[in-house]
Amino acid sequence: MRSVRYITVLLLVSLASCQTVLEPDPVDLLVDELVLNEPNDVQPVRLGMYNALRGTAASTIIAGDFTADYIQFNGTFTDNREFGNKQITAANSVVNTLWGALYRTIYVANFILETLPGVAGVPESTRKQVLAEAHFMRAWANFIGTYTYGDIPQVTSTNQAANRNIGRTARATILASVLADYQAALADLPAVAAGSTNVTTNATYLNKATCQAALARFYLYQRNWAQAETLAGQVIASGIYALETNYSDVVLKDFTRESILEVGYSLSDDPGTTATSLNNLLVGRREVIPSNQLITTLVSTEAGTRRETIGFNVQNLRGSDNGWSVRKYGTASEDNNNIVLMRLAEMYLIRAEARAQQGKITGAAGAVADLNVLRTRANAPAIALTAQADVVLAVERERVYELAFEGHRWYDLVRTGRAQAVMSAFSPNWTSRFELWPIPQSEIQQNPALAGKQNPGY
Amino acid sequence: MRNNYRLFWGILLLLAPVQLLAQGLRISGRVTSEQDGQPVPGVNVVVKGTTTGISTDASGNYSLTVPGANTVLLFTSIGLVSQEINAGNRTVVNVVMKETVNELAQVVVTGYNTTQRKDITGSVTSVSPDKFKNIPVASFDQALQGQAAGVQVTQSSGTPGGGLTVRVRGNTSISASNRPLFIVDGVPVEDGNLTGRDFGGQQDNAFALFNPNDIESIEVLKDASAKAIYGSRAANGVVLVTTKRGRSGQKTTFTADVQRGLTEIIRRPDMLNATELLELQREAVTNAGQDPDQRGLIKGVTDGVNTDWVDEVLRRGVYQQYQLSAQGGNDKTQFYLSGSYRDEQGVQLNNGFTRYTAQFKFDQKATSKLSFGANITASYAKNKRVKGDNFLDGVYSGAIKSLPYYAPYNEQGRLYGPNDPNYAGFPNFNPVGQAVLPRFVSYTAKFLGGVYGEYEIIPNLRFRTKASVDYNNITEDNFEPSSTAIGGFLESVGGQGYGDFSNTTLATLISTNTLAYNFQLPGKHRFSTLAGFEVLSRQQRSNNVQGRLFPSDDFTYIRSAGVVDQGDSYLLNSGLISTFGEVRYDYDEKYLATITARYDGSSRFGKDRQFGVFPSASVAWRLSSEPFMQRFRFLNDLKLRASYGFTGNERIGDFQFLGTWASVTYSGSTGVGPSALVNPLLQWERTREANIGFDASFLNGRLSVTVDAYDNLTDNLLFAQPIPLTTGFGSVQGNIGKVGNRGVELTISTVNIDRGGIRWSTDLNLSHNQNKVVELVSNEPIFRGYTADGVSRTNVILPGQPLGTFWGLKFLGVDPATGNAIYDDKNGDGRISPEDGQVIGNAQPKLTGGFTNRVSWKGIELSVLLQGSYGNSILNFSNTTLLNAGADIENNQTRKALQRWRKEGDITSVPRYELGNSYNNYHSSRFLEDGSFVRIKNLTVGYNLPRQWVTRYGMTSVRFYASATNLYTLTRYSGPDPEVSTLDGSTVSQGIDFFTLPQVKTILGGLSIVF
Repeated sequence: MRSVRYITVLLLVSLASCQTVLEPDPVDLLVDELVLNEPNDVQPVRLGMYNALRGTAASTIIAGDFTADYIQFNGTFTDNREFGNKQITAANSVVNTLWGALYRTIYVANFILETLPGVAGVPESTRKQVLAEAHFMRAWANFIGTYTYGDIPQVTSTNQAANRNIGRTARATILASVLADYQAALADLPAVAAGSTNVTTNATYLNKATCQAALARFYLYQRNWAQAETLAGQVIASGIYALETNYSDVVLKDFTRESILEVGYSLSDDPGTTATSLNNLLVGRREVIPSNQLITTLVSTEAGTRRETIGFNVQNLRGSDNGWSVRKYGTASEDNNNIVLMRLAEMYLIRAEARAQQGKITGAAGAVADLNVLRTRANAPAIALTAQADVVLAVERERVYELAFEGHRWYDLVRTGRAQAVMSAFSPNWTSRFELWPIPQSEIQQNPALAGKQNPGY
Repeated sequence: MRNNYRLFWGILLLLAPVQLLAQGLRISGRVTSEQDGQPVPGVNVVVKGTTTGISTDASGNYSLTVPGANTVLLFTSIGLVSQEINAGNRTVVNVVMKETVNELAQVVVTGYNTTQRKDITGSVTSVSPDKFKNIPVASFDQALQGQAAGVQVTQSSGTPGGGLTVRVRGNTSISASNRPLFIVDGVPVEDGNLTGRDFGGQQDNAFALFNPNDIESIEVLKDASAKAIYGSRAANGVVLVTTKRGRSGQKTTFTADVQRGLTEIIRRPDMLNATELLELQREAVTNAGQDPDQRGLIKGVTDGVNTDWVDEVLRRGVYQQYQLSAQGGNDKTQFYLSGSYRDEQGVQLNNGFTRYTAQFKFDQKATSKLSFGANITASYAKNKRVKGDNFLDGVYSGAIKSLPYYAPYNEQGRLYGPNDPNYAGFPNFNPVGQAVLPRFVSYTAKFLGGVYGEYEIIPNLRFRTKASVDYNNITEDNFEPSSTAIGGFLESVGGQGYGDFSNTTLATLISTNTLAYNFQLPGKHRFSTLAGFEVLSRQQRSNNVQGRLFPSDDFTYIRSAGVVDQGDSYLLNSGLISTFGEVRYDYDEKYLATITARYDGSSRFGKDRQFGVFPSASVAWRLSSEPFMQRFRFLNDLKLRASYGFTGNERIGDFQFLGTWASVTYSGSTGVGPSALVNPLLQWERTREANIGFDASFLNGRLSVTVDAYDNLTDNLLFAQPIPLTTGFGSVQGNIGKVGNRGVELTISTVNIDRGGIRWSTDLNLSHNQNKVVELVSNEPIFRGYTADGVSRTNVILPGQPLGTFWGLKFLGVDPATGNAIYDDKNGDGRISPEDGQVIGNAQPKLTGGFTNRVSWKGIELSVLLQGSYGNSILNFSNTTLLNAGADIENNQTRKALQRWRKEGDITSVPRYELGNSYNNYHSSRFLEDGSFVRIKNLTVGYNLPRQWVTRYGMTSVRFYASATNLYTLTRYSGPDPEVSTLDGSTVSQGIDFFTLPQVKTILGGLSIVF
């Protein structure tokens, strides 16, 4: 009997090892409670927010360009076939990816806005800057969200229960919040001195000029021409950014001098062959290729050196494949895999459009002058139009030459009311419902407040 | 929590010392079987004329205190011939007993214990190696196919060393594993795939590292009573594998086995030739209003080359296996030793599996109280793999799709690579090149070893401790040169070659300690009790590195890579601490009861749910022992059984309960981003199981029948509950939902003829399982599987439907007027949209079974195993590409495309071909087919040389045989093989054929010599 007891004692002693066996530590995860509670935690979480912003970039480009008349389908994936054939459905996974990425950005921004004020010991300048960045990120995500999906849920906290059952808010209200957030950000974002060549402060992270550029775009969409002109002018005049001499550098290089906001990848985090990797879609698999119509536009004299946006390879020319590929999204080792969200050329185009709409056509402060800045750089013939309507259309064309595959086309056509005319001519399947993307099907199913609230036509 | 353990052990200590301290002489000994020399548990040993008695333990041992010398001991057990032995003045009495009735005396391993089949109150199926010795199975899970009721084994493809799906009584889980717990010699061994690289669908199989010929027995534990001793891991059934051990009292025998044969794909897909395809494609282009000539589809030119790509990439494979083993022992020491070599060429070029194994088992009885031993399995395998299934650059998958207009080699006999102007472009890659040019080799090594000691503390109270390790090392050595798709075509990946190299170590350490105590109370009340404590700790360590931009294709290791920009290292620990116990009771072998429970703590459960209890109880009544049954003399044995209990599934992944942030990057900097939401209440999935059944044996064992019926309900299903993305997250891990399994199982074994030297026996097993998702977080469909045209996904999880349900549009036929597909407009909105998606079928069979017949006559033997499945659907997803109604013209088409609609009035099920029209190719029930099949799984003819011939040369037996596996398949499925699963191991998306390599047919000759 004694030996039984010994064994039992032995076994009980061995229970001391319980803790290590039953509660191993994860090596690659940080638990919620530890993530933001001391000054050293601020930088990692801030980077997490920029990472979330970067997560929205590729799908935003897809929304802006694949929905419109730039592309034709040349691959095997259903999602891209839907974009190519203009048969976009609520089940399209990019529709879901963009939505998720936007709300992920809003979540991290809200997390910072809620948590950071309570973290002791953070220098005031850091606190202000990171909070301003969070405001900007939330505004940016809501801005894209509302122009992609229409009325969207307005998420202002990290409260899980509330955000699981949240209805659509009118676009006007969303836009008001976007403006408020941008203005809050503008106040506290750091200023960068004119002539700065530091890509980290100029384009990688936010500064006052970044926010002005975003506001310029915001006012452009609002048709608040005066404000759009002013803010775009402020960015142009800031002296931080400068147009590259060769347009091909814009196509083929990361962090050019004209980048205002550029989300960066390095060799080790290159999205590679993932489904929303632009390089994979446009170069690797060539799931979509430039539409014949766009090719004609971009190889014209009017486009000038901006024909570099696309390239031709005779080996690809077979069947319905026209042999052309988009070149703006290269690989990590080519140093060309970043996504530019805003660059200086857009500011010229915003100012040109704002001026044209206000009747400021000619002269040094006229729309034509702004357009010719870009055309000169591209070795395209200068224009000398005088009629307002002609200039407004010239801006639309110039945006194609200059900004093709940077995620603007569809948003531009919709905001200018030109979508129906342009897209119906491009695809027989186009209908006005495609002026908005559908709310992702899974969101309609899982969020009770969205049940039956799909965008019209889907 | 420690208090709970104290309480548990306290109770055990109270139970244990029920010890009769009688005066007298102590006798001990071991009971073994005459048939195979193995120990027999559960034999009653009684001092004649008294009620003093005991039953033998798991190792056949007993200890008894007798009044004095010359006591007569009575050894009895149903199914064995009783013996009376006068002990004289011996203190050690070893007995050899003989079977009377088949099956009943069969020794069955029941987890931490062993018992005779007659004493089992739960549902346990045994598969002996005799049943699969002629079949060239690579792994023991494959050996279960068609052999056991309630066990469904599906081989995912014909890939050598490839994966299988094993399900015991259906699928219990949506997100956690559905694999049974596999225990080899007491160790929960690594299961599933060991390698990490994705090959498009087909994976490797960890069990292929075991040599099935080293196995002594396989037991499948099916009901709660049998399984609850494995607690939180038992819900999906438990498969216990015991390797061979030495036999006492027999001379050392040597066995040499040789098998050599050929393998071939069972059926080839029937694809169009160049001329047929060209005509079809021209029609599709014309129908789209375009000029086929302008697209380069020119008669007499385009079809100038006609390559049969499937022929180009397939071959006949050579299969060979050699084994030498030795087995022997005496009363004190027994051993088994074996070594084997197996080499199986795949039917795809450059595909093959080679394995070396060694097996050793040693048992020593040092004194009457102390015994110890060891078991060692060491093996090493080399798996040469090729891509397939879902990969565009696969071999077989690429070959079926490839256009016959192109040839694999140019005029100089060199392979065409990607980007070659004379070869079809993306999405086609030269499948011959994809087979022979890359290097995909995985090396796996396994060491499974254990040592045990057993000591009899007081008579019949035995302490056993065993420490084991399952150590696996996996090295994956892959390189794709610039002439392949990844190495050359995708510049973002390779460009100039792409190499990756990884190393993974999976180690499980386990310490098992049990106390077993057998005792008998006056009046034939026999008890057999067991209590145990187990600690399991598993560690996974892995690293990998990837490189590209190699100077040339002569440099294939990452040392020479220009850019090494991807790499990883990782460590993961998990653990389980458990206490368990079992009490078996019987009264006169007539009324039996078992109570089992396990108390598990797991590292995978949330802080507030770290420990769980899994109890079960069962009863059995041996009706045939009742006096009123004695008049049914044809009935040898009839036992009714019932059980009820709870089991769990803890394979829910690690750290799922934590709310976490993980490393993320931005522009060369690293930060943290949100990763998962917290759930401290996350716990095991729990299955409530009820089983009733009976075992009957008639006509001296010539007919035996086992029937079981069960009703299981799994609740607390682990589920990544989808939540609106507006929360910032897509899902949260929770325990939501219920899945039910109900079924009936029938096993019949008969000896139909046994006279005049002719013996014909039959084994039949049939299983019916009805699986149903009872409850989910909501009634909204949850989509899984592949993305599909026109609807969201190919599969759906929906309350009221089984797992593995197919989703799609309902295809109503082809409009004879237009040739377009007609789909069911389910919501009646006048157009076809994803909202018209509906349930179109499911992959779970209504009936599965196996039917074996063996006939022997004068040394000649013939055996046939039929195996089949009835009532399951297969999604022929390949046909969304191969019968695509002209959605694209980049792929070859199946012969069925010739039946397409061509002109008004055509009545057909194949829509009109029109280039670019994806409407006719929407994912619909058009691609769903009946997957029922019956297959001659194996046919073997053998001949044993007459004994007098072989003994002359000092041999015991010589056997020649010829065996054919997968000889013939009867099915209505239009694809090459109904037994495929492109998503190897998947539950919710099972039964999909997506360019999956069919099974292979193996014809072999074998020779087995015993000397």
